[in-house]
Amino acid sequence: MNWKVACAAGDVAVDSMKRFDVDGVSLMIANVGDGFRAYPPVCPHMEEYLENSGICAGGVLTCDRHLWQWDMKTGEPQGPAEKPLLMYETKEEGGEVLVFIEQELEYEFDDDDD
Amino acid sequence: MKISIEKKDQHYSFEAQPGEKLLYAGLKAGFPLPYECATGTCGTCRARVKEGDIEEGWPEAPGKKGLKEDRREFLLCQAYVKEDSDFNNDTCLLGVPSAIKQFREDDLTPVHHQGEVRNWERLNAEVLQFDVVLDSAIQFHAGQFFVIQAPGIEGFRAYSMVNYEHETNTLTFVLKNKKNGAFSKWAFAQANEDGETKEVSLFGPLGRATFHPDEANNLFLVAGGSGIAGLMSILRHADVSGHFDNYSATLLFGVRTVDDVFYLAELNEMVGRYPNQITVHIVFSDHQSLAGHDLDLGRLNPGFGFVHEQALATIEPNLTDTMAYLAGPPPMIDALIRPLILEAKLPANKIRYDKFG
Repeated sequence: MNWKVACAAGDVAVDSMKRFDVDGVSLMIANVGDGFRAYPPVCPHMEEYLENSGICAGGVLTCDRHLWQWDMKTGEPQGPAEKPLLMYETKEEGGEVLVFIEQELEYEFDDDDD
Repeated sequence: MKISIEKKDQHYSFEAQPGEKLLYAGLKAGFPLPYECATGTCGTCRARVKEGDIEEGWPEAPGKKGLKEDRREFLLCQAYVKEDSDFNNDTCLLGVPSAIKQFREDDLTPVHHQGEVRNWERLNAEVLQFDVVLDSAIQFHAGQFFVIQAPGIEGFRAYSMVNYEHETNTLTFVLKNKKNGAFSKWAFAQANEDGETKEVSLFGPLGRATFHPDEANNLFLVAGGSGIAGLMSILRHADVSGHFDNYSATLLFGVRTVDDVFYLAELNEMVGRYPNQITVHIVFSDHQSLAGHDLDLGRLNPGFGFVHEQALATIEPNLTDTMAYLAGPPPMIDALIRPLILEAKLPANKIRYDKFG
């Protein structure tokens, strides 16, 4: 099984996110109100650490570098953002947030598979 | 040399002359490559070499922080074609991390210009205004900038236009004296020589922190020091386009002391014509009051403290019909973006900024 405990459910307030390291994999855990989401720790645009550049407001995540935005629940891009957020599967059990990590998710710098 | 960029199923290619910055070569060819400052400080024009060789340029460019060497990343605004490349046969394939797309339909294609510097005017002890007269008339959007290279000085510096006309061959700029700035040292030396005109190289117009009357917004303008330049151009375009018949403007202009102010007469004149539409606050970071200082602000309001704090105290929350324009030192912009979104609830697509290092 690759379900790993990331944090306690109470560690991340609603409409915010925090960075955690889970078995050497760094990720952002976001509390979207009715559950949690887990994203890679960087912005898919220029790999800015979202722990520093991310702004959570009303279920929307904004990176303050170039104002790319995403729906925190779906990871879908909004406004000028061009790429969705990658997401790990998450679940909440016994007051803990678990993340399914098969392999570390990373963004392709320029979209091309090579 | 032929430069190619592949982006999903799109393929772009353009010619770059020896020594020409790749960003400028691509923009000039009509491809809206990603960039912000165009002068090496912000890192937005990050790209990578997939095939071929380029010269990376300025090694200490602040915008290079975080570039990954193993991916052969570099900045388009600094890199150029190697002098010894086989110009006709070599090609270089690049990758960029964001789409190559127009900002607006009326985007203007920047080109290289030569211009003569004239009309040096000291606005105060540390700020110069000057004109650059181009060989032909051009158009630019209010809020845009040019990059300028002075004779014998390495690299381009970015300056926003102060003036606005639909079409003009004269660009007006302001320049703050920077202790270690080669360009400002050159400019201040020139300004002291009477009547001399000097030729400079320019590239532009550049920048997307622009004002467009058809976007139908009230204006919330925050300037730190010489960042006022582009905001003056925005106010002037709004003025001549009749924008203030329907919309308002609030300007916060941050300076250190009473000795650092400029454009007070111009701002007073504009407020005099639109007393109900335009509000201007001159915010002094090093004073707590104007008592004891011989300064008449006229129709402008004094403010004290950091301009970003005064701006956040001034803006009403939940504005949806207002565009914020931020122009000044990067720490000022960074201090504004987060609270404008979180506290003032300004939509991110209603914030435009110019962040020059």
